[in-house]
Amino acid sequence: MNAMMTCALRKQKLVSQRSTFIILGIVGIPIWNVLQETSAADTEAASAAMPLNMLSPLLDDLYTLLSISFVAILFGIAWAFYLEEWLPQTHWVRRFIESVVAILGGIPSIFYGILATGVFFSDAGTLKTIGVVRGPQDTGDMSALEPLSFQQETPVFYILVLTFILMVMPLTIKTAQAALRSVATPIREAAYALGASHWQVLKKQVIPIALTRILATGCRAMSSALATVALIFGIYTWQYTNGPGEMSNRFVLFLGSALFLSIFSSVLIKLDASASADPTHPTR
Amino acid sequence: MNYSIEAENLNLWYGDFQALIDVNVKIPHGQITSLIGPSGCGKSTLLRCFNRVNERYGNVTTEGKIEVLGKNIYDTDVSLPELRKAVGMVFQRPNPLPISVYENILFGLRIHSPMRSITKADADAIVEEALKSVFLWTDLKDKLKARATSLQLEQQQKLCIARLLPLKPKIILMDEPCSALDAKGTRAVEELMEILAGTYTFVIVTHNMAQARRVSKECIFMFLGELIEHRETQSLFTDPQHEKTSDYVHMRYG
Ligand SMILES: Nc1ncnc2c1ncn2[C@@H]1O[C@H](COP(=O)(O)OP(=O)(O)OP(=O)(O)O)[C@@H](O)[C@H]1O
Ligand SMILES: [Mg+2]
Repeated sequence: MNAMMTCALRKQKLVSQRSTFIILGIVGIPIWNVLQETSAADTEAASAAMPLNMLSPLLDDLYTLLSISFVAILFGIAWAFYLEEWLPQTHWVRRFIESVVAILGGIPSIFYGILATGVFFSDAGTLKTIGVVRGPQDTGDMSALEPLSFQQETPVFYILVLTFILMVMPLTIKTAQAALRSVATPIREAAYALGASHWQVLKKQVIPIALTRILATGCRAMSSALATVALIFGIYTWQYTNGPGEMSNRFVLFLGSALFLSIFSSVLIKLDASASADPTHPTR
Repeated sequence: MNYSIEAENLNLWYGDFQALIDVNVKIPHGQITSLIGPSGCGKSTLLRCFNRVNERYGNVTTEGKIEVLGKNIYDTDVSLPELRKAVGMVFQRPNPLPISVYENILFGLRIHSPMRSITKADADAIVEEALKSVFLWTDLKDKLKARATSLQLEQQQKLCIARLLPLKPKIILMDEPCSALDAKGTRAVEELMEILAGTYTFVIVTHNMAQARRVSKECIFMFLGELIEHRETQSLFTDPQHEKTSDYVHMRYG
């Protein structure tokens, strides 16, 4: 019976691995296409005074957005630890933050998209995109293309950061708290009763057990943020540039990364579940 | 008489609810004492006072004095890690940590010693000795790297006892240690307790009166937070002094 179970488990693992590759392929091909397209466009446009490397501003944008969400996620995880591990359930700070998180988390992310759009694209008719990237809109002048980056300390940039934080932090706090709570009480009790301090319990048991889930949480939050940004780009590209252009490349790249992160987080959760699968201790 | 634990006028509240009322108890050294009583009478609460894990359950106020091995554990200079090293605890559901058998046994020791101060040879010897004292060595010597949560329940519970031993505790508290086990597992754990009883002081909470009669020398009966009767086990069962005790041992409560 045991052999059968291991066999089934191995099979399941194989299947999940295979589907991962297939999905990676599905996501990877459009991204690859974008890369190809852009480099083709590069050579074509070399004469038309276009920046030689169009891919690099795209990647820079992606990098910037990822960094912002990364910081937001770190803060979210820190808050989750503080609330879940240090504050008693009835503490007013905990109640307050948890209700704020519940309210913010209940808002669909497209709302943030619209909010950001409203702010970033208020200058009707001109594609300001995120306000810093001056796009090729009507003039077709690609030379103004600039990456979104930390160096450009425009207010709009900070609004973007704020949107990301509002969008990413509640999700992270909520799910990271759930991950910490999923470390079963008996495990903590056992460690405390052996004389472990709070830090030791966290360091030796809680964090190793919850880490995969917390990582998955972070990836999921990043993914939802990127997907929203991708949607904004998508909508505005079609509206203002009449067809696929630099912006829709961005759309594909962001959406692709979002999908990738989302799949990655599902894989993490799946791996975590099969690692802790245990008939005698069902996870809560 | 030599006592391991002496509690005086112990009162305990969870918020406004008084769970222990003026408990006075002396638990003798080197033998098994059982705690019985209807559900919710405060057995687990009393047991958890002895290693102060109660304090983790939120809004708990304690009054009175508990001396463990001659030292008041509510003194300000008491170190909780040291107290819990001396007073081990076994829970109702076996709760091995989700790491290997080997690391489970070393967990306590690693917590209490500086990083990397335990050599591999020492560690091996400690694990072997601990497993031998609970008669798991022959079964588990080839499975030391296996996840402890994958063992049978009986083995898990014995492992939970084994992982206390490297810390050289004086007292072992057990809260319904057999209620998750079948008859064979229960018997095995009882035998183990009887063998270890000379070396360690055991306090066990049990709902199984047959078990209390089989293993314990003294028995404490509690009712609604009060300690009603504390006597030699056989006489508590055959000749209870209080009406409530006699009602309970004759199963007149649900
Ligand atoms: N953390 C807690 N917060 C509030 N009340 C509690 C808490 N733990 C226990 N109690 C209450 O204290 C009383 C004694 O509980 P305790 O768990 O000590 O009983 P017990 O004798 O061990 O019962 P059982 O046989 O069911 O295990 C109960 O009325 C219970 O509801
Ligand atoms: Mg109990």
